[in-house]
Amino acid sequence: MNPSDLKKFTISGTIKNSANGELLIGATIYCPEVQSGTVSNYYGFYSISLPQGEYTIRYSYVGFADVEKKVLLQSNQKLDISLQPLEEQLDEVVITGKRGDENVKATEMSVVKLDSKTINKIPALLGETDIIKAIQLLPGVQSTSEGSTGFSVRGGSPDQNLIILDEATVYNASHLIGFFSIFNNDAIKDVALYKGDIPTAYGGRLSSLLDVRMKDGNNLKMSATGGIGTISSRLLLEGPLLRNKSSYLISGRRTYADLFLPLAKNEDLRDNKLYFYDLNARIAHTLNDRNRIYFSAYMGRDIFKNKYAEMGFGNRMASLRWNHLFSQKIFLNTTASYTSYIYNVGTPPGEASSFIWKSSMDDLSVRSDFTIYPNPKNTIRFGASSTLHNFFPGITKGQGNESLLIEFKLPRQYALEHAAYLSNEQKISPLLTIKYGVRFSAFQNIGPGTYYTYDDLHNPVDSITYRTPKIFHTWFGFEPRVSLVWILSEQSSLKGSYSHTVQYLTLAQNSTAGTPLDVWFPASPNVKPQAAEQIAAGYFRNFSKNQYETSVEAYYKKISHVIDFKDHAMLLLNEYLEGELRFGSGYAYGLEFMVRKNSGRLSGWISYTWSRSWRTIQDINNGKKYPAPYDKPHSVAVVVNYSLTPRIEASANWVYSTGLPVTFPTGRAVIGGAIVPVYSDRNAYRMPDYHRLDCAVTFKGKEKPDKKWHHEFNLSVYNAYARKNAWSINFVQDKSDPNVTFAVKTYLFSVIPAITYNFNF
Amino acid sequence: MKFGKIIYITVVTLIVATSCTEKVDIQLDESYTRLVVDGSITSDTLAHTIRLTTTTSYYYNQPAPGVSGALVSITDGTTVFPLTETSPGIYQTADTVAGSAGHTYTLNITLKQAIGGNTDYKATSYLNHVSSLDSVALKFQPQWGDKGFYEVKVYVQEPPTVDYYRFMIYKNDGLLTDTITEWFVTDDKFFNGSYTNGAAVGYLNQSNPSEQLDQGDVVTVEVDNIGKDYCNFIWNTQSEIRGANPLFSGPPANVTGNISNGAIGYFAAYSCTRSKRSVR
Repeated sequence: MNPSDLKKFTISGTIKNSANGELLIGATIYCPEVQSGTVSNYYGFYSISLPQGEYTIRYSYVGFADVEKKVLLQSNQKLDISLQPLEEQLDEVVITGKRGDENVKATEMSVVKLDSKTINKIPALLGETDIIKAIQLLPGVQSTSEGSTGFSVRGGSPDQNLIILDEATVYNASHLIGFFSIFNNDAIKDVALYKGDIPTAYGGRLSSLLDVRMKDGNNLKMSATGGIGTISSRLLLEGPLLRNKSSYLISGRRTYADLFLPLAKNEDLRDNKLYFYDLNARIAHTLNDRNRIYFSAYMGRDIFKNKYAEMGFGNRMASLRWNHLFSQKIFLNTTASYTSYIYNVGTPPGEASSFIWKSSMDDLSVRSDFTIYPNPKNTIRFGASSTLHNFFPGITKGQGNESLLIEFKLPRQYALEHAAYLSNEQKISPLLTIKYGVRFSAFQNIGPGTYYTYDDLHNPVDSITYRTPKIFHTWFGFEPRVSLVWILSEQSSLKGSYSHTVQYLTLAQNSTAGTPLDVWFPASPNVKPQAAEQIAAGYFRNFSKNQYETSVEAYYKKISHVIDFKDHAMLLLNEYLEGELRFGSGYAYGLEFMVRKNSGRLSGWISYTWSRSWRTIQDINNGKKYPAPYDKPHSVAVVVNYSLTPRIEASANWVYSTGLPVTFPTGRAVIGGAIVPVYSDRNAYRMPDYHRLDCAVTFKGKEKPDKKWHHEFNLSVYNAYARKNAWSINFVQDKSDPNVTFAVKTYLFSVIPAITYNFNF
Repeated sequence: MKFGKIIYITVVTLIVATSCTEKVDIQLDESYTRLVVDGSITSDTLAHTIRLTTTTSYYYNQPAPGVSGALVSITDGTTVFPLTETSPGIYQTADTVAGSAGHTYTLNITLKQAIGGNTDYKATSYLNHVSSLDSVALKFQPQWGDKGFYEVKVYVQEPPTVDYYRFMIYKNDGLLTDTITEWFVTDDKFFNGSYTNGAAVGYLNQSNPSEQLDQGDVVTVEVDNIGKDYCNFIWNTQSEIRGANPLFSGPPANVTGNISNGAIGYFAAYSCTRSKRSVR
């Protein structure tokens, strides 16, 4: 053994919230004697190795009281720490859970984290707090359409965001054609959005990683949280199964707009169904000091039914995770997960055209992620993952004896996606930290399946059918990623990053907002994976003891093999979907400014983004460059929260952005007796600018020290000054004089008030 | 057959329930003028019509200007059928001309003055065969709309070939489906080779005086076998006229026709068959 190793010992353990036993992610462990420290990981675990000696270890997490421990280090030690939330002591202080100077000191950049408390305070459409609506208020993130949960990160498409819920991929995060997301905020602990510097452990999407983590469940006492809102009700139960050892959480939400339909005057409406629900469940269990397991599950579905048609869609996900400590320095998490997205559409039997239509996709996935803490200067992460994708693009058939429709079935497609990665976060000096790593990925199309070959005009010419599960095509990806932070002072730093990402799956979505019917399709012999390279640089500065965080980031992103769709593409139930694809390149650049105040009676942020995003695709716009569908040059968000009294909080947010690019007519022709528009170049015009103000007031019930029941009323107003933001602009023929044409805009929402009652005990 | 349409109607109904529409002023630029060709040759024996007009600025607000003085002819490769201008921009064959299945027809246009930099335009179209209808039925649906709807149903053995159809509906010999937006077009992807067994191809709204049926009225259904390209042209044109919304619509784009040199429009060749039913 090396003599210098003899003197080094490791302190490790987990950090928890003393109030409910929840693990704290990203808590700081700092040792002033060596001016160095570490951060707890996703499972609350930390490890720090120091030479033999006497040390002070300071544990801190914003919103919690610091804990200092004197340690005489002569052997490896295990120190599990419980931090006490400050909120119980100081009610008027508004807090968000993040360590004070993380903004400045962490190597990661282009990352925004929000916890569920912050999200809860943001006024929301119909009072349904929504993490995706909240992240759309952050710099560099745009909504794709009014009220939509689709989002674009740094000019990318919505399908370029990897959304994971407790490590399981979410393929469609929307309810009710996109107006609400599938994430019930009650069950969510926190959310992190990586806009560029995506950790090497993750890949498969070009633009971002949205990492959503469910609450652990209270392992100290049983408690309930719930709410009755304008369109939905929620209830969450959590508590210990074995005190201090295991906990459970179960949470549900259901909308009930349709429960009032039986009262409707119009008889046609009484049998209609229109609702969605979500169920979340989680079990966390500590087997012993070295092993913990977590089981998480989600299920949600939208149901719509009337006399003429019915439709249902939803996700199912489950993940099983096992944390194992090989030693105090080696942490392993292994996850097995399953996810599926299914929809069905149909019309009632009895007609010649009665049909049912189904489509689905599912993934089975395993991954192992190691973290090694050899010394305070290095944190090494490596791991591997494998996923089996199963796509079922659709089947339609007649329903009932009268139907003339024959069965039409698109063949299933299978693929394997693998990745292995290695990275190291290295403190070169107390002022400079570099994180460098590489991710290798591979994507394999496997049988059984039918694949078509296409000629230069994208017409199918031949097909090959594989009858056995044999690998018939493989794409490889090499994805280096580097980031660095250079600390200028206690309060400021410069950061830079380079990242390469590869995407093998694409959503066949041709509209800006998309629908639940859009299907994912894999890379294949005909479809090259899309790849992006992004460089970013930023300056981070905090003021007044980290009360104010400010940042400026600049980025440039280049995308190769961008997939777009030909004019008038047919993307559904089309066996020749690949013939509808067109390929090209794209680039995007931008500047993002953010000022955020995290504590005090007034909290919130202001963000401003200037950005552009461009594409050049063969056959589209005659091969000329055009603004990408989500190119919004200017975008502003102001989010404020103010404690008027300890029991009354007011909050508001205001958003402004340039309108989306759009194609308008520059002429007209008469064909078949009707006026047909003749269009400008692709996206040569813009929708009118978008802006909107939302406000909310929360009244909390009286707090007494021994009171178990806490409750509050929340009143909110969406679009407070009734801006008629254009959802679409169309050009139509006058009914009375068919020679006259004019423009009409459709807007979805005027002022929408809502009231919600929340409780917990 | 577009299933999307049913979903479209369902979802748009939902959205429309909460949304509002209003007229807005949008400033538009003007692009260069192009020739617009709209016409056909069919298996009927009659004067076949080709309309020549030009594009205009979007807010032109007058009928499209006709293009006069052009030399227009249609040929099947052996015989040339000349067209004469019967009124400004409208060119017709003799009323004894009939197209026949299995031939490719070519339209030749020579303009007196160049439009969009060209004087010569050309288009070709193949004339497909169509199967005769067995019968047509009318089914009254009293609960639909204010005064109910008549569903127009067709019975025919669909052949095993890949076909594309357009259905036109006449009331007492007057064409009800007189604009492209009202044409019902479909491929046979989801019922190829089946007996159609009363598939609905049109809906007559009894609150609309022109579509209202009384005892003794005769409804005629015309079926045209229009071919893939023309079917796509009609679908895409219908979708551009219907307008866009963020959920279902791809980016708006000009519809590609079959006329050379950048002209807009379509020259179609198709065969047609008809069947009648009187209201009892």
